[in-house]
Order: sequence, then C-alpha cells, then structure tokens
Amino acid sequence: MAATKPVGARAPLATTSWGRTGRVSARSTNVIRVCFVLGAAIIWESLSRSGLLFRDVVPSLVAIVASMGKLLVNPAFYANLQVTAWEVAASLAIGGVAGIVVGIVLGSNKFLARAYEPYVYYLAPTPRIIFFPVMIMWFGVGIASKIALGALSCFFTIALSTAAGMRGIDKVLIRVGRTFRATPWQMATKIYLPAMSAPVLNGVRLGFGTAVITALLAETKLSNQGLGFMVMQIYARFDMPTLYGLLAIVFLIAGLGNLLLGKIAGGART
Amino acid sequence: MSNVANASTVTTVAAPKPQLVIDKVFKRFGDGPGAVVAVDQVSFDVRPGEFVAVIGPSGCGKSTLFNIIGGLLDDYSGDVLCEGDRVAGPHPAIGMVFQEESTFPWRNVLDNVAFPLELRGVGKAERLERAHHFIDLVGLGGFEKRMPSELSGGMRQRVSIARTLVSQPHILLMDEPFAALDEQTRLLLGDKITQIQQDLKQTTLLITHNLTEAVQLSDRIVVMTYRPGRVKRTVSIDLPRPRTSDVVSSAAFGKYVAEIWADLREEASRGMADAEGRTRGAAPRG
Amino acid sequence: MARAASPLMTRGLPIAVGAASVIGVFGLLEALLRLGVVNRYIVPLPSDVLLSLERIIVEENVLARMRETAYEVVMSGLFTILVGVPIGAALYRWRPLRRALEDWVAALAAAPLVLAFPLFLVMFGRSSTTVIVMSVITGLAPMILKTTEGFVATRPVLINVGKSLKMTDSQMFWKILFPSALPLIFTGIRLSWTFVLISVVGIEFLINLGGLGQLINDLAERYDLPGTYAAICFVILVSVVFFVALERLETWLQPSR
Repeated sequence: MAATKPVGARAPLATTSWGRTGRVSARSTNVIRVCFVLGAAIIWESLSRSGLLFRDVVPSLVAIVASMGKLLVNPAFYANLQVTAWEVAASLAIGGVAGIVVGIVLGSNKFLARAYEPYVYYLAPTPRIIFFPVMIMWFGVGIASKIALGALSCFFTIALSTAAGMRGIDKVLIRVGRTFRATPWQMATKIYLPAMSAPVLNGVRLGFGTAVITALLAETKLSNQGLGFMVMQIYARFDMPTLYGLLAIVFLIAGLGNLLLGKIAGGART
Repeated sequence: MSNVANASTVTTVAAPKPQLVIDKVFKRFGDGPGAVVAVDQVSFDVRPGEFVAVIGPSGCGKSTLFNIIGGLLDDYSGDVLCEGDRVAGPHPAIGMVFQEESTFPWRNVLDNVAFPLELRGVGKAERLERAHHFIDLVGLGGFEKRMPSELSGGMRQRVSIARTLVSQPHILLMDEPFAALDEQTRLLLGDKITQIQQDLKQTTLLITHNLTEAVQLSDRIVVMTYRPGRVKRTVSIDLPRPRTSDVVSSAAFGKYVAEIWADLREEASRGMADAEGRTRGAAPRG
Repeated sequence: MARAASPLMTRGLPIAVGAASVIGVFGLLEALLRLGVVNRYIVPLPSDVLLSLERIIVEENVLARMRETAYEVVMSGLFTILVGVPIGAALYRWRPLRRALEDWVAALAAAPLVLAFPLFLVMFGRSSTTVIVMSVITGLAPMILKTTEGFVATRPVLINVGKSLKMTDSQMFWKILFPSALPLIFTGIRLSWTFVLISVVGIEFLINLGGLGQLINDLAERYDLPGTYAAICFVILVSVVFFVALERLETWLQPSR
C-alpha cells in the first residue's frame, strides 16, 4: 500500500479551529496584555490629538496622568478618600454582621428560610440608591445616611451567600461532629465556621462592591465630602483630565480592595 | 454445528481487498524520559462487510488508535489507509460513534439523526425520510419528537448510532459505544448492532475493553497489549451468523472468551501492577 | 420543623407565616405611628402610603415614566447582548486572548463603573443616551463572562462529532457551539438585564431625568412623604416583577435537556 493519496491532508483539522486544547504560554499572555494596553493608549491618544471629538471629552493621556499625579499629592483627595473609606467600612461592618446573622438563621432553619428568604432573594437585585431620600430623612445629609444606605445594600448579598454556604456544608461533616459528641460550641467553631468561611467571605467581597458603589453614588447625589462628592466638584468645573484621573484612581482602589478580599476568601477555601 | 463450518468457509473463501488497512501505526505522546508510546507498530486490516473488534486493557492505546483512524489525531507515523487514501483528518468514508453521550441535547431525535444530511444540504423531505428509516432501524420508531433528555442512556446511544449510519459511511468506527450502559442493555443493543450490520453489510471496527461484547459481535478480534499498545494476536470468531445474544450461552462462545481472556489477563494485570507502582512511586505529601 | 407534614404544611405554611409577618410589621408600624411612638414626619403611615400609591400612579404620569424607563432598559439590554455576546465568543475563539483578558473583564464587573456617569453627562448631556451608554457599560461584563463560560462548557465530544462530520468553522459555530452555549448566554442576559435595570433607575434618580428614578427624586424634593415612600415601593415592585419575569423567561427559553 505504498500508493497513498492523502485525502484532504491539511484541510480537516485546519478548518476546525474551534475547541483547541493547546497550552497558552504565560509569555504570550503578557504580550497580548501589553499590546492591548498599548493599542488602547495609541487609539485614545490619536483620537485626542485628531480633534475629531471635543478635546475636553478625550483629553490627552499625558494630561490625565499629570492630573493623577496632582491628585495623589492633594491633601483634599486623602481627606475625601478617608471619608469614603470610613463609610464603606462602617456599612460593611453593619450590613455584614446583620447579613451573616440573618444568613445563619435562614441557612439553619428550613421553615424560616421558606418564610422569609424569598423577600431577601427578590429584594437583592433591586436599585438600592432610590432609598437614599428615605435615608436622608432618617439619618440626615451627613455620612450617617451613606453608611445606612451602604449597609442596606450589602446586607442582601451577604445574607444570601451565608445562607447558601450554610446549606452547602457537607451533611457528612455534621454527622461526623455529632458522632464525636461535639458540643454546640465545638460544632460552631470546629465544623460550621471552617466549612462556611469561604462562601461567607465571598459574600463579603461581593457586598464590598455594592457598598462601594452605593456610598459613592450617594455622595454624588447629596454630600459635602467623600470621593463621590469630589467627582461632582470636578465635573462642575468641567475639568475632564482630572475627572478621568480620579475615576481611574477610584476604580483602582476598589479593584485592589476586591482583589484583597478575594485573596482572603480564596485562602479560606483550602 | 454445521452452521459453524458453513460460516467459516464463507469468511475464508471471500477474502476481498481490505477496505481499511492499519499499517505500522505508531504514536508517541511527549518527548524525552516522560514520553509515552501509546500505539506501537500496530498493523491489521478490515475487509468489506467484516466486523472487527480491537480489544485491550485500559491504557493499551485503544482510544488513541480510534482517534487516529477517525482522523482526529493527524500526526502519527505509519499509515491508516481507508479505501486506498491515507487518513489525515476525518475521512468521509468513515462514520464515528463516540464513547461519551454525544447527542445534541437541543435537538429532538429526528433532528439529531437528520443532522449530517442537513450539513450536506439534503432537502428537508428527503432527509427526514432517511432519518426516519434509520430511526426505525435502531428500533426507536415513535420516539422521533422526543428530546434526548427524555430518553435512557441506551436509547441516546442508539440515536448517536443512527446519526452516524444516516450518512451511510462505508466504515463504521465505534469507540466503546456501550461502555456507559448496564450489562442487559449492552447485550440487547449488541443484538441490534449485529442485525444492522447484517442488514446493511456494514463494515465495522469496534474498539472495546469488553470481552463478551467483542466475541458476541465480531468476525475477528484484534487483541492489544498493555503499554506500549501492540497487536498481541488476532482471533477469528467462527460463530454462526445470523447471531443473537443467545450465542453467549453456547459452548463455542465460552471457549473463545476463555481463550482470549488468557491473553488479556496477562495484559490487564500488567496494567494493574503498573498503576499500583505509579501510586506507590508518588510519595504521599503532607 | 413539622416532620411528617403535608405539602401544604411544608410549603404553604411558611409562605403564609412570611406574608403574615410582613403585614404584621406594617400593622405594628401603623399602630406605633398612630400612638405617636414613631415620628410621623419621618415615617408616613403605611395606610397613607398605600393610598398615595393610587394617587401617584394617576397624577404623576407613571405610565409614561414606565415607558421611558422600559425604553432605556430595553435599548441598553439589547446593546449589551449585541456587544457582549460577540466579545464573549471572541474570547472563547482565541484562547490566548481569553487567558490575557478574562481576569480584566471580571475586574471590570466588580469595579464601581457607574461612578463614571458624570463623564457621559459631559459627552451626551442630561439625556437618555447618557443613561443607556452608562447602563450598557454596567451590564456588559456579566454578559461577556457568561457567554465565554457557555462556550467553554461545550462538551468536547460534541466538538469531535463536528470534526468527524468535517463541519466548517461556521457550521461548527452555529450548529454546535452556539446552541450548546445558549443556556449560559440566557443566564448572562438575565444577569446583565438585572444590572441594567438597577443602573437605569439609579442614573435617572441621580441626574433627575425621565422615568421612574426621577419620580422618586421629584416627590422627595417636594417633601411629599407618603408619595416618596409609595414611589419607592412601586419601583421596588416593578423591579421585582421584572426580575421574576427574567427568571421565568430564562427557564422557559431553555431548550429541554
């Protein structure tokens, strides 16, 4: 059988390029990332220089970076950052504790879960910012109303993921605890807590995201301090480079916070 | 027992040109000391209308061989010749049935089976008619409008077989199509396959690790060795045709099974020893 | 709780208890307000809120506002699909691209992007366009991530079936990959449309423009206490209905499998 005529020798595998399973090297990943960032920067900069759009709308990257530098040495930025950070931390603490407690109750009791969890579940994906007028009436225009709104926002996410985490515990683990006659305290600290920490911390991470957004948006609506307030101040001056710069810094800080909480949650899993 | 003699004369007299030739096929994965030779100098052939089974323990390179013959793995050395063409990429004359569940869950039985005809642009009326024919052939008449999720595992595998048969492949290539099924279903599906193969004079190559299944269905069995996968020997099965699953209770069947098992056991225990060795070698880490 | 109980006991009773306690809380609030324990200038009477519900629906042009919000949600939602699904497919198609950018898309999903609304105010003014653009950006990341996830989840054996049938690239995409990814794409649509609704209402409220979000802002600025509460309840109700409808739609659209 020497006379072999390769039938569609190249064609078949070459045409079906979907579903490849080859390895992707770390280097090519980094090359793509660098190219992506450079490409975006070049497009941005040429758009800015071309004058096709208003210069103000797409400011030069040089101007944006310069404004970021100025922000980072501006004491007012740090004062506002501190206010927002405090608001987020306080709302996460209040909403978090409330959420975890409610989550544990819902997760451990089927009856209560059936009775009340639908309310938590269906209220979770609703726009929270619209409660802001009510929060102002209750807590005034200061940071208390932002904390209350932030706490309200992150409560639902944290409660739901705690309840889910509680229900997700392997029943075998609980039986093991029972057969060793663990006390309720031992059950809580040796079994429930370690088994639940990952979903709870993940809920806290998600709650952090909503608390940040809510606090910032509330600040843009009505306040005299905080990063959201600063954004509106800069907007009122139509200082576009600084607006971009501040937004970039805020996204970066929020991203780092999210990453940090993700790392903690990931560490709890193993 | 005159039937046996009859059948054997038929197979020996009719020895036409092979339809599928596997010639010194070799495949190695990886390089250096970690390289694994999956298939080593494997040669055999399949003649028109013949049912051949390749049997071997896990790790004998059966699936690699399946992928090479099916054209899903195209860098191998040696030759796989399908009707004279070297296989490099899926060959139109070969129809494949996979081990895993492979029906499209979003299509009903009829549309699943008609799928290859749809790709070829066959008109709707004709493709539905042909699909109906093959659905009846695999015994699923009446289930045309059902979704795969409503069917049992055995029925779904029959849908896959009908879907492959509908494009009328010259060679049917199957990789452990009944692996996920229970023993009874397996025997009954075997009957179906035997009957189809006889009705259509379908040339078939079955890859399997199940001994009874191989003896029940095949004209010839190629026994493979454990790593590297080589051909240990080839056994002709001279059991009467038409065959049904009743054949498994015959003395001749038992003789074949015992004979092949003797070869297979040696290979399978080598595989087991190897696996245990690897487990021991991997020192437990704290 | 009740171990060997009828379905009515295990299903119906908790639901009844839940509903009863919600009504009970409002009843208690009503009583406390009437007794003067809680300040009526901060919390209106629940009965007043209930009565105002009708008033705001009739007087505040709620239908027109709903139409406006619905328009913005649908537009943003459609754009999210139109942009997100192709990007998600592209991330699947070019694996190095996915390796490089998937984490960034995930980071984007977690970033407080809505804060950028003043930027779009500068570009498009106080208009529906601002609301829509901002909401598309908010809803995009989950759409992309779920789409990619859907394609990645395609069972390899189905791709092998396609290869053995010598399917072309476009046949492979439309006849195997896309239908297989569809369930998770629907999940992506549900998630991103939920985000879009939250963002649309939120931005309407923040920039005092157009639909339901503005309604709350208007009433709050007029210091119409029961009206504000009623409007909030109404918007929450609308978003819950929207959310439930999306969930139903998702399960209904799932091809049976």
